[in-house]
Amino acid sequence: MPEPLLDTRLLERLERLTIQWRNSLPGLVGGHNTSRFAGAGQEFLDHRQFHHGDDLRAVNWRAFLRLDRLFLKMFHLEPRIPVRIMVDVSKSMETGESSKFDYARKLAAALCYVGLVRLDSICLQPFSGKLHDAFTASGGRHRFQPAMNFLTGLKPAGQTNFLECSRQFCSKYPQRGLTLVISDFLDDRDCEKPIQYLADFGHELILMQVWADEDREPPWEGELELEDAETGQKVELAFDRDARAQYTAAFDAHAAHIRTVAERNNGRYVGIPSSAPIEQAIFGPLVKSGAVA
Amino acid sequence: MNFLNLGLGELLGLVSAISAGVVALYLLDRSKRRQIVATLRFWSAADVRTELKHRRRIQQPWSLLLQLLSLALLLTAIAGPQLGIFDASGRDHVIVLDTSAWMGSRTNGTGGPGVLMDQAKANARAYLRSIPRYDRVMLVRADALATPATAFESNRGVLESAIQQSQAGASALNLSQALEFAQRAQKLQGQRAGEIVFIGAGRVSEEEAGLSALPTNLRVVSTSSALENLGLRKVGLRRSPSAPDSWDIFVVVRNYGLRPQSVDLGLQFSKSPAGSRRMTLRPGAEDQASFTYAAKSGGFLEARLNVRDAFSQDDRALVELPPQASSHVVVYSSEPQLLRPLFAANPQVDAIFESPDKFDPAVKADVVVLDRFIPPAAPRAASIYIQPPAAGSPVPVRSTRTGIRLDTWHAETTLGAGLRTRDVTLDLAEVFSPATGDITVAETSAGPVIVARASEPKLVVIGFHPGRGSMKYELATPLLFANTLRWMVPGAFRRWEFQAGTVGSVNVPVEKGAKLGDIRVLDEANRSLPFTVDDNNLRFFSGAPGTVRVQMGDREMVYSLTLPDVGEAVWRVPPGVRKGIPKAVLGDAAPRDLWPWLALLGGMGLLADWLLYGRSRAFRLRAAGAISPQWKKVTQWRKAS
Repeated sequence: MPEPLLDTRLLERLERLTIQWRNSLPGLVGGHNTSRFAGAGQEFLDHRQFHHGDDLRAVNWRAFLRLDRLFLKMFHLEPRIPVRIMVDVSKSMETGESSKFDYARKLAAALCYVGLVRLDSICLQPFSGKLHDAFTASGGRHRFQPAMNFLTGLKPAGQTNFLECSRQFCSKYPQRGLTLVISDFLDDRDCEKPIQYLADFGHELILMQVWADEDREPPWEGELELEDAETGQKVELAFDRDARAQYTAAFDAHAAHIRTVAERNNGRYVGIPSSAPIEQAIFGPLVKSGAVA
Repeated sequence: MNFLNLGLGELLGLVSAISAGVVALYLLDRSKRRQIVATLRFWSAADVRTELKHRRRIQQPWSLLLQLLSLALLLTAIAGPQLGIFDASGRDHVIVLDTSAWMGSRTNGTGGPGVLMDQAKANARAYLRSIPRYDRVMLVRADALATPATAFESNRGVLESAIQQSQAGASALNLSQALEFAQRAQKLQGQRAGEIVFIGAGRVSEEEAGLSALPTNLRVVSTSSALENLGLRKVGLRRSPSAPDSWDIFVVVRNYGLRPQSVDLGLQFSKSPAGSRRMTLRPGAEDQASFTYAAKSGGFLEARLNVRDAFSQDDRALVELPPQASSHVVVYSSEPQLLRPLFAANPQVDAIFESPDKFDPAVKADVVVLDRFIPPAAPRAASIYIQPPAAGSPVPVRSTRTGIRLDTWHAETTLGAGLRTRDVTLDLAEVFSPATGDITVAETSAGPVIVARASEPKLVVIGFHPGRGSMKYELATPLLFANTLRWMVPGAFRRWEFQAGTVGSVNVPVEKGAKLGDIRVLDEANRSLPFTVDDNNLRFFSGAPGTVRVQMGDREMVYSLTLPDVGEAVWRVPPGVRKGIPKAVLGDAAPRDLWPWLALLGGMGLLADWLLYGRSRAFRLRAAGAISPQWKKVTQWRKAS
């Protein structure tokens, strides 16, 4: 029997968290984040002229007695929007001494639990070269176990094609929502375009880049024969401290670029090394970024 | 060029093995390491070349060559190479250092203060400095025995230490034996014989003074030895045969010098003057002085020459003398006048006469004599029963005879030794029935009349009265009592002789008929010393001062070997023998060590490799802040280790 991805103690701590989004997204009533859309809410938004057919219960009668005109009170809508978690299951997630793939699954499970506790609708969407079968969970924490089973059953395979996956994602999920992408973002192609694509379709993005220590600062030195985990391409080279520094700088530049793209589209970016404990990652950088609170 | 620590083959083998290891490690260090990575996009961006498919197997041949060369230099330094003409075999010299007693004498001022031994040590050290450093030297300390202090040794420190520890001994030099030993050592252990160097005064016995059968490779380094000396040669003491309370003392003095000398010889017994004599001796002559000194008590007798000469060790001799021993005899007799002459004749017997009714079994005496009565309790001391009553006799009385002839004396027994009578008839005699183990001393036709029992205490039973009848006039009667008392109290009748002599070989005359089994030679710790007996002459050797006792039956000789043995003559070195310390270093000039330079070069090579190809380059370049294009091109392939 495989070991559960999250232990009970962590789940208890996760219950106090809520997935946060910034954008006002349309959705059914029942959410926990206010929206700029007016609707059935508790928090006052604005007044407008009364039109026939409006709900008389929302008329501001005090204003009518003073001004002898009918004004209708409008309230913030608290919509229930879909939360979709894209989990990278490409072969590159398997590299590194501490598996990024396991880390990504744990992260996805934790966020899934946070959402389920707040009665959000969570969609787990694995992807590599294309979108794989998704799993949707909603209706409370008692739906978490099937989600765990789904994540446990995932296997890393395939080559990343983030752009293709973005296209498929936008086609598959026309309703805008909160999209969390858990990936190493080490697609050989540029990541800017697929991220921009998702943002342009109205999805609010939270990008979580998971990297192994070897991805950022390779510990090896000397002559190396490197093989790409996804493409199988090989290259021989010599590596030393100077080269390592340049490598790390390139990696950091890549991560900074992803962050820039995310923030430019009103999204958020969180970089997490897979060597960090999952609990520390959630209650540290993830909370700090505002993805959960 | 030669190697001190390793042979050429060993060095080459070591260099080959380590070089092979270095090359293997070098190739292993530079072998490709396979790694699976998430992406290759950053590797190409990391300013490293990736076209390695056709690269050479050895990437930095100059680095490898520099490393191998440096290691070879370091190993060669460890091998200890030396530059110069080198006599690798060396020669084997033997230094025979005179450590005889005479070497303890004071110098005459020519060699500075101190003793001759100091001069000899300085000469030995000077000789060591004069020979090539690779020559091996054996140090032999020579006195009466030749003792090797070191094996053939090239380590000068060991030899210097052995020379420093050498001290003058107490015996005389046996030069021929020492030279023979040195020759044998060179023949058996040496590889290439060098010189035999005798260093010392050469004070030898008269027989060796003209020693001329010498090794051809002998060198003599003499110390000044023309010194005046008077010394005691021997001090002898023994109890005077005519006056047992007195000691006969004779002292032998020798003049070892070249001028006639007069000297006062003084004797002291227990710090009291016991005699003195003025003696005049010709050069090389010995003279003897005799003294008689009466003393019953024990004490130390000291003989001293009142002279100040170069060698003071033989000016004084000390002998410890025991008190005169006597046996205490208590005679219980109702007719003491019959027995009194028998005991009064012996000065070593102290006899007390008591009546039988005063008998005390616990009386303090060595011997108790019971004349014709049986005591109520047996005495605790050795006892002589004279005609004991049949009832109660310790040896059963078989019969009592009258007018019986004494036929036989058993002269083979200790008690009957030397006893003889002719036609002696005993008026009244008891004939005993001896038990098994009893000694029959005298016998009649009817049986034993004198029986001895070696029990504890000893007892002798005499079946007739020696003071009555015809035995009263026989010489055998006092002799019988003397034998009996000597058998019962042997210590009181032991004959003592004392001699103060020189250490070394000692000859002791042995009486004719003495049994070899009875002879014992004991040192101060009562350990037996080896000895030989040849032609009535016992010989033993004592190499160190001390006291040696020679026991032969009832005779005991004590040798206080405290006088140093000084040779009587000075060895006359024959012409043709090399003398003195050689001035020039024999053989060659000292080769120069190369290892410091080789070690320095090897270290510099490794440092250069580290600076040019090792990690330090990265530090330096980083500190410089920028890499020039030329350097960048040259060092695109930098070592990882």
